[in-house]
Amino acid sequence: MTTEKTIKSKEIVKLARVSRERRGRATAENRHLPIVLLIPAIIILAFVVGFPMLYSLYLSFTNFTLLSHASIKFVGLQNYVTVFKDPIFLGSLGRTILYITIAVNLEFILGLLIANAMSHIIRGQSILRTVMMMPMMFAPILVGFQFKWIFNDQVGLINNILYEIFGRPIIIPWLIERPLGFISILIAEIWMSTPFMVIVFLAGIMSISPEILEAAEVDGANEWQKFRHVTVPSIIPFIYIAMAVRSLDIAKAYDLVSIMTGGGPAHRTELIWTYVYRLAFTSQKFALGSAMSYVTVVIAFAFTFYFFRQLIKARQIRRV
Amino acid sequence: MKKRSLLVITISISVLIVATLLFPAGCAPKPAAPTETTAAETTATTETTAAEETKPGKPFEGITLKAAFIGGANYEEMYKAIPKFEEETGAKVEIVFKGDGFQIDKKLKTDFAAGTVDYDVCWDHSSFYTQYIKADGIIPLDDYFTKEELADHIPMILNAGMKDGHLWIIPRHFDISALHYRTDILNDTEMQKKFKDQTGKDLKVPETWDEFKETAIALQKLLPAGVYATEFAGKEEALTGRFYEVLLAEGGQYFDENWKPAFNSEAGVKAATMFRDLYKAGAMPPGMTGFVWEDVAKNWVAGNIAMYTEWYGWYSYFQDPSASKVAGKFDIARQPVGDGGIHSGWAGDHAFSITKASKNPEAAAAFIKFLTNEEQQYNESKLGFLVTRQSVWEKIIEEAKATGNPLDVKRLEFAQLQASEDFKTPPLVAEWLPSSDILYPILQAIILGDKDPKAGLDEAAAKVEQLMKDAGYYK
Amino acid sequence: MKRGKHIPSRIVTFIVLAIFFIPVLWLILTSLRPNIEINTRPPVWISKNINVDSYLALLGFGVNPERFAFGENIPFGSYFRNSLITATVSTLLALVIGTLAGYAFSSFKFKGRNGIFLSLMLARAIPGIALSLPLLVLFTRMGLSDKVYGLVIAYTAMNVPFTAWLMAGFIGEIPEELNDAALIDGCSKWSAFLKVDLPLIGPGLAASGIFAFLTSWNEFAIASVITRTIASKTFPPGLFDFTAEFVSDWRGMCAMSVLMLVPAIIFVIIVQRQLVKGLTLGALKG
Repeated sequence: MTTEKTIKSKEIVKLARVSRERRGRATAENRHLPIVLLIPAIIILAFVVGFPMLYSLYLSFTNFTLLSHASIKFVGLQNYVTVFKDPIFLGSLGRTILYITIAVNLEFILGLLIANAMSHIIRGQSILRTVMMMPMMFAPILVGFQFKWIFNDQVGLINNILYEIFGRPIIIPWLIERPLGFISILIAEIWMSTPFMVIVFLAGIMSISPEILEAAEVDGANEWQKFRHVTVPSIIPFIYIAMAVRSLDIAKAYDLVSIMTGGGPAHRTELIWTYVYRLAFTSQKFALGSAMSYVTVVIAFAFTFYFFRQLIKARQIRRV
Repeated sequence: MKKRSLLVITISISVLIVATLLFPAGCAPKPAAPTETTAAETTATTETTAAEETKPGKPFEGITLKAAFIGGANYEEMYKAIPKFEEETGAKVEIVFKGDGFQIDKKLKTDFAAGTVDYDVCWDHSSFYTQYIKADGIIPLDDYFTKEELADHIPMILNAGMKDGHLWIIPRHFDISALHYRTDILNDTEMQKKFKDQTGKDLKVPETWDEFKETAIALQKLLPAGVYATEFAGKEEALTGRFYEVLLAEGGQYFDENWKPAFNSEAGVKAATMFRDLYKAGAMPPGMTGFVWEDVAKNWVAGNIAMYTEWYGWYSYFQDPSASKVAGKFDIARQPVGDGGIHSGWAGDHAFSITKASKNPEAAAAFIKFLTNEEQQYNESKLGFLVTRQSVWEKIIEEAKATGNPLDVKRLEFAQLQASEDFKTPPLVAEWLPSSDILYPILQAIILGDKDPKAGLDEAAAKVEQLMKDAGYYK
Repeated sequence: MKRGKHIPSRIVTFIVLAIFFIPVLWLILTSLRPNIEINTRPPVWISKNINVDSYLALLGFGVNPERFAFGENIPFGSYFRNSLITATVSTLLALVIGTLAGYAFSSFKFKGRNGIFLSLMLARAIPGIALSLPLLVLFTRMGLSDKVYGLVIAYTAMNVPFTAWLMAGFIGEIPEELNDAALIDGCSKWSAFLKVDLPLIGPGLAASGIFAFLTSWNEFAIASVITRTIASKTFPPGLFDFTAEFVSDWRGMCAMSVLMLVPAIIFVIIVQRQLVKGLTLGALKG
């Protein structure tokens, strides 16, 4: 009995893993179909992203500033040299990478645990899901305002709660001191984005067929083992998608940090885009800002490439 | 099948080529969209000569003026009077943008650079207008305003809008900072006794920055938790400005005659050190480096600050019992003097300019004249703004004497005094903001103790010098 | 199979939800109380002055009695209209374009597949603010600046990469055997698609739809540059109407934020049902 069920479940698992690529590869008649399907996407992205970025690339080789737009001069790679020699930029870069790494990993772990917990609750799950998704419904600038208030040293929520507990004003400068500032923006980011992970993972978990889980149970697995050996591997593509997307999104982080700390004080919470924005718009060094944007984008590209490779590898492993 | 796919590919490539041709990535943007006006009448009315012809009917009939103004509560009250201008002149006014100071500055800069200006009149400010000159976005106003028309404005303020011999902005109202202090702390006999016991000196309103520093640090020890002796705005241009104020008072300069940065002089180091020491002694709220204007004002009205420099413009808010816990409990004094022997006063005035892209500069000038006439300025003064017409000042000081609150009169008289003697704008160059962006993080680092004052200021000076060099100031 | 009560799961979930909900709660509370109670110490936990003035002012029904309240000057209706149109249209467009693209990526192997896929992802690596000025120049030349459909185009482009990615994942997971089984049972290719494939990618569509909508609804950087007047201004830049250089109307901002959340919540609830339906239909029947 057991063996039969096991064989059946293994076959089902195999079936589930076969992708459609097999069918798609063969026929000659739909050789160009995929390109046709992609044309709308390519056109709209070339228009909205491609051209502006080309223009921006051009600007990065000039000395364009918002004010002297009438007298542009070509300066070659000078801006790029300045960028790489700028300690503030390098500091922001390191800080941003650290920020992304910590945030994505924490969001991943929290997201997975929460999604798993939520998947066990059947009744009222849609209400739970809606509440869970509330942080995602906030505009990032709004989240910035909220957490700026929460962490305010004089009248913020946290210090006020401490005031109630201890009976006297407890002034912790959450947005100022060295690790605290960084932690504050991390907390705001995690609050805002963990729901994303939860939803993606939940979708993944819910699409695992119950038979597989049953088969595992029959094989004698307990909760933790089911989680580790069935649930997690089955949603690996979702995990990679979520983490890659989140990394890119956090790398773009601007709204949130700009409102909460403005990258300060004294560059303590300076991320790349808060620095670029200030450089390009307030200091008017738009060409330098463009060069910095490009350097950043290239680095983001490297990360994307890495995750993409992982995704392909994972897909290949699962293609039995 | 091959044919079809070939067709598809050809079409896509042609689309891309056409698109590339339409938008050469290399061109600098030229000024675009002119002011919209109703069709035919435009050509007729704008071809009038510079001197306004007062036609029987309305002078600007059919013209639509667009404006980009500063927004937010009190600023917008005046805009409610615009229909009157429309009535009188036949012009139509459309406010196409309202935002706070930084938003509108960004918008103006972006529009001037991208050539997307579609308004005739814009907000301006003594600290910002030099940027717009550089961006070639505004025009000189000498031809549109006569000496008589301008005579009523306080001269020192009007002059702040002059550069290279031309007038670029017409002032609307100004603001300057005075020392605000809590009478229930500094004049409180209990507190005075404790202070005397602790330091051996009397507790009084400081008259020099040295006294200010000493008093604040000593006072802090006597204040309950959560209350601070003083505070300053701690980031962005606000911090640079406050530093600039003290720098000037101590006899220093921001730039010297050759436009080399001079704020790392002894005076500058002394000023920066004062900020640092105040912070270190806990005499300022720890979150200070995150404060801008609203935050410092909020702390003040919450009753958490003993004394600090603040703009006059807040007065009615501070005296409103429903919003402020310190209503009736404070007084003002002139800013402390420093080693330089002067009372400082970082000041600026909000103003109006005419854009270069405007097709109706005469109408725009008339509009500005309306917005800055005696009646409008008088109404604005009722909201607490410090206006620039001397005739209005005389009037409101008289009226203030009738309210019975001596502070009402005192503040007006002080303000007038400061306007004529202490009014110091930041350096009138477009590089003020970029240099501030370099300086303020370093000032923050000094305040927080990350950097030594002299070393930090030297570093900032070196970078600002490079900035000015790149901008072509050193021939 | 019995899922049981799973007590630890319930506890964890409720604690977590409470944490995630607190700022939302605060948002609602702040919008109901007078400004003087908002940023104070000692804190005012239970307000004695709850009123809906800021909402009334926003919706045009009343005049805000407080001095520094900006509610009645805010063109709420315009913001709502612009945000709604931009978000829904760009979401629909992104779903269509993205699903086509996702289908192409997942079901076909063709030259340049990885390259194009990667470029799409790269497009997503660029934040709104990096694009904002060049995009403004481009849009202005084309007459798209300060127009709702300009914003729609921009947001569609922003949402396509993620949709394509997600849909490629979902479509790729569908085993062709199910489709073949339906064909064998006598369905035409199209009805097989409708009956088998579409419900299975339902959750994918729902998820992409939710993210696309929320991204567009809450986007700030590009909107703040491209929109200038109420002809196209959306909510996020509109939030800044409440902040002034000197005093901000936090209560008003919270009120508008709550109103902003309402359509987002409604949309999510509706689409969520699809998510569930799709999931229950999608279970592999052995």
